[in-house]
Amino acid sequence: MRPPSPSIPEKEFVFDALKHSLRLDGRLPLEMRTPALSFGTELGCVECSLGKTRVLANIDAKMVKPTPERPFEGMLSIHSEISPMAASEYEIGRPSEEEVTITRMLDKVLRRSDALDKESLCIIAGQRVWHLRLTLHFLADAGNLLDCACMAGIVALKHFRRPEVEVVGDEVTVHPPTERAPVPLAIHHTPFCISFAFFPDPSTQPVIDPSLLEQRLSAGLMSVALNAQRELCVVQKLGGVPLAPDDLLAYINVAVAKAKELDVIVEEALKKDWSGRHVEVR
Amino acid sequence: MTRPDGRSPHDIRPITAEFDDLARVDGSARFGFGSTPSALASFTGPIEVRLAAENPSRLSLDVVVRPLSGIPGTREKKTGSVLGSVLKQSLVMEANPRTAVVLVVQSLTDEGSLASMINASTMACMASASVPMRGVVCAVDVGMTDDDFIVDPSPEEKQHTSASGCFAFHIQGLQRVECIWTNWTGSGFDEQELLQARTIARESVINVWKTLKETVARREKLPLEAEDEMEI
Repeated sequence: MRPPSPSIPEKEFVFDALKHSLRLDGRLPLEMRTPALSFGTELGCVECSLGKTRVLANIDAKMVKPTPERPFEGMLSIHSEISPMAASEYEIGRPSEEEVTITRMLDKVLRRSDALDKESLCIIAGQRVWHLRLTLHFLADAGNLLDCACMAGIVALKHFRRPEVEVVGDEVTVHPPTERAPVPLAIHHTPFCISFAFFPDPSTQPVIDPSLLEQRLSAGLMSVALNAQRELCVVQKLGGVPLAPDDLLAYINVAVAKAKELDVIVEEALKKDWSGRHVEVR
Repeated sequence: MTRPDGRSPHDIRPITAEFDDLARVDGSARFGFGSTPSALASFTGPIEVRLAAENPSRLSLDVVVRPLSGIPGTREKKTGSVLGSVLKQSLVMEANPRTAVVLVVQSLTDEGSLASMINASTMACMASASVPMRGVVCAVDVGMTDDDFIVDPSPEEKQHTSASGCFAFHIQGLQRVECIWTNWTGSGFDEQELLQARTIARESVINVWKTLKETVARREKLPLEAEDEMEI
């Protein structure tokens, strides 16, 4: 089902309000919705929500034979299909534009940015490596699914623990979690994606973390993926809204500040969850 | 016979049933036997239907089942068709012709529990309150061991059962509880034992039904009627 376009009164009201730097939900233009992270019982399962937008990420791992081109590296595959649960406009089997954008961005942010050390996933070179499967479920689309999905993905990777493996010669022993504590993945850096929405009137300031209405009414979107150490991973700009280089740098600085805030929130949430888990030491 | 977690044979685990309030669907709910939910269901409709699926006399029900990891496959398709056929017994399909209804069920655990999915779907339908229902569909698992029948076996207990299955009941009040579906399979059971399992499931499913009723009453802030305390 196609999404209904916003009505003319809605459009005019939102544009007028934005001219006065007012957003419908009362946020400041450069204010993100506070992310909330809720972890499941299994390690590697996390539900991330930005306001009403919710994404569930789950990681599972299995041992496979590596590809002959890369015998020393493990694999990470990402499944991110949007189901009608996110909104009735999404259909299974027919990838919407949003889904394609999200899939490509997730691939760049989580795989190509080398956030995860793939070589640490190698067990026996050329024979056995870990194949991690990250599955993202989009539970509700209230704007900015992309940022929510990237955050859920990287937090799931940080939360997941793989079983400890002992290699003696050619023999591989996988220790269950009851015998030996599972091992965290080797994450080089924590990239976050921050999206800006631009509007047709060039005098209107862009907004961060657009809500559903703002996203539908935007003329262009820019997503910046970077980590708290000011390293850029991806800059993606859609829509064709002209942007001066000075403005672009200013917005990237804003994104850096947001990434640092998000980093603090994520680390705190992970620490709190880990301290609540029963870890028995014999 | 005591079970590993201390339950008696016909006890179900404490149920987790909560309405979820997902923003873009009409109704959503989570359900699980135990302290964590194992299925999340969302219901949207009646909405515009694809021309190919349009039916002039009844609404078309689309069920999408998604596993926790990986992409949906044949098993999810089968679960989807089971859920559809079970819910159609309750939903009044003729009330909204030429429209569609979409039910999406997300499994929140690796194994996936069909009984939880059925219960979550019923709750989502009730939360959306947009398609009239004849009654409430509830389901519960039963397993058969050498000693006795156990209700709501945990995954570890299921491995030691010789036969097990999920029973779905259409409940229209305490006086009308009808078994509408089962997938009882196993080895070495006869018709008598199957009927026994069904009777035991029928008694247990009332507790599921009561929990759902309490959950709805709490959400709508309505008092529960005293007549529910009548015997079957």
